[in-house]
Amino acid sequence: MIRFEQVSKVYPGGQKALTDVSFHLKRGEMAFLTGHSGAGKSTLLKLITVIERANAGRVAINGHDIANIRPKDVPFLRRDIGMIFQNHHLLMDRSVFDNIALPLVIEGFALHEIKKRVLAALDMVGLYGKERHYPIMLSGGEQQRVGIARAIVNKPPLLLADEPTGNLDPKLSMDILRLFETFNDAGTTVLIATHDLGLIARMRYRTLTLKQGRILGGDELASTHTTASAFGQ
Amino acid sequence: MSQQPQLVRSKLPISGRIVMFFIRHIQHAMGSMGELWRNPVSSLMTMAVLGVSLSLPAALQVLVKNAETITQSWNSAAEISLFIDEGRSERSIQSLISRISAYSEVSAVSYIDRDKALEEFQRLSGFGEALAYLDENPLPAVITVTPSIKYASPNGARELLKKLELEPEVSFGRLDIEWLERLQAVVRLLERTVMAIAALLVLAVVLVIGNTIRLAIMNRRTEIEVMKLVGATESFIQRPFLYTGIWFGVIGGILAWVIINLLVWYLDGALASLLGLYGSTLEMQSLTLVELGELILLASFLGWLGSYLSVRQHLRAIEPS
Repeated sequence: MIRFEQVSKVYPGGQKALTDVSFHLKRGEMAFLTGHSGAGKSTLLKLITVIERANAGRVAINGHDIANIRPKDVPFLRRDIGMIFQNHHLLMDRSVFDNIALPLVIEGFALHEIKKRVLAALDMVGLYGKERHYPIMLSGGEQQRVGIARAIVNKPPLLLADEPTGNLDPKLSMDILRLFETFNDAGTTVLIATHDLGLIARMRYRTLTLKQGRILGGDELASTHTTASAFGQ
Repeated sequence: MSQQPQLVRSKLPISGRIVMFFIRHIQHAMGSMGELWRNPVSSLMTMAVLGVSLSLPAALQVLVKNAETITQSWNSAAEISLFIDEGRSERSIQSLISRISAYSEVSAVSYIDRDKALEEFQRLSGFGEALAYLDENPLPAVITVTPSIKYASPNGARELLKKLELEPEVSFGRLDIEWLERLQAVVRLLERTVMAIAALLVLAVVLVIGNTIRLAIMNRRTEIEVMKLVGATESFIQRPFLYTGIWFGVIGGILAWVIINLLVWYLDGALASLLGLYGSTLEMQSLTLVELGELILLASFLGWLGSYLSVRQHLRAIEPS
């Protein structure tokens, strides 16, 4: 689903964000991406979503080599990727319903279809009945779940989450992660970037650890324990 | 990885896509109208600026149109004088007159014979005494030809003159159109000035709309970022802005039309009394319905153009980070 082959990214200022990164996340897999701030997590996610492009190496998403994707085709690639952000990127002047419906509106679904899918997505994240609310009326955890509902509403094969539990207490964080597990059970590939090591430790999933732009250790073998020790915690 | 799968552009069937294309357009058009409605003060300010900017070229158009009707009525004043060879018999002159009268280009012919010409000259020139010393009448007979309306323009009259000069009895002809040509030159100059001013104002309209749309884009920066992140194409994002520009143009055009009508109504009384002094009954014309349609069409095109230029430049610059 996501394949990186010796990918390097240097920003125009000369700052090396990623160096020789290779990994392969298979279809239907769920994994964590971790590392200190500035280790390159965000850059890696930006390469997947084609916000940035690699200087060297190959990035392939869902079978598409990013290098061959023209700028005007990028939107169609992004429709296959559900993205969840730490600050949820919700539109504050639109209702919960309109926020979640946005990807469907963009894809040109009919209104009755949009209604059906949005309500189903809201139900899935446990916010059924709040579709008329505005994001500002919701708690942080609820806002995050609106963001998740928006990411999954058009059933993308790949789900990316950038610090989805960043502002949440452990109990809420766990709820969110359980939610990701249910999507993963349904066949969605999930990659979660987080520095919440306690969270990772409680779940036994593959972990990719970045340190100064490089993937640490034999990534196929990386377990929760080696990750923790690699951080020296 | 060698054979790359095609990117799925839409998950909808072709029929659904076509239907949704139109539904989206209508929704975006209505949506941007609603957006203007929700910010009435700033929208109205922009529309007022557009209305005033557009009303000036439209007013000049009205001016030119009215000037044209007036000059057209003067055009027919062109007259051709044909001087007849000396020694032609009265009979051959009469047959010439009847031949010329039969021309389709000619509306009226009048004949001044040599005696009458002398009489007129004595009366008008003040050289009457001197003429008495001459042995014979030095003046030729003259035929005055008034061209038909179609040949009343300087070019048409000149053409007719050439044709008339081919008649064997005619010694030479004269066309008194200098003043007409001067008038037309003045009118042409006025028209040019109008065009230049109109072009500048049209440019101003494009710039005003472009700037308004630029501000709208800046205001909705986060929204545009989010839309790009969830896979919106450029055309999807720019469409509401383009419709906003078109609405600005349409409403600005209507405002300009209202202003023009007020202006004509205000000037009509004054003009009527002025023309009345000259014994003319010309009535001032306003814009016709067709011209109103053209004005709105032009204005909406300008609105589209202004927002398109702005969107091209500023939407690209917004990328999620």
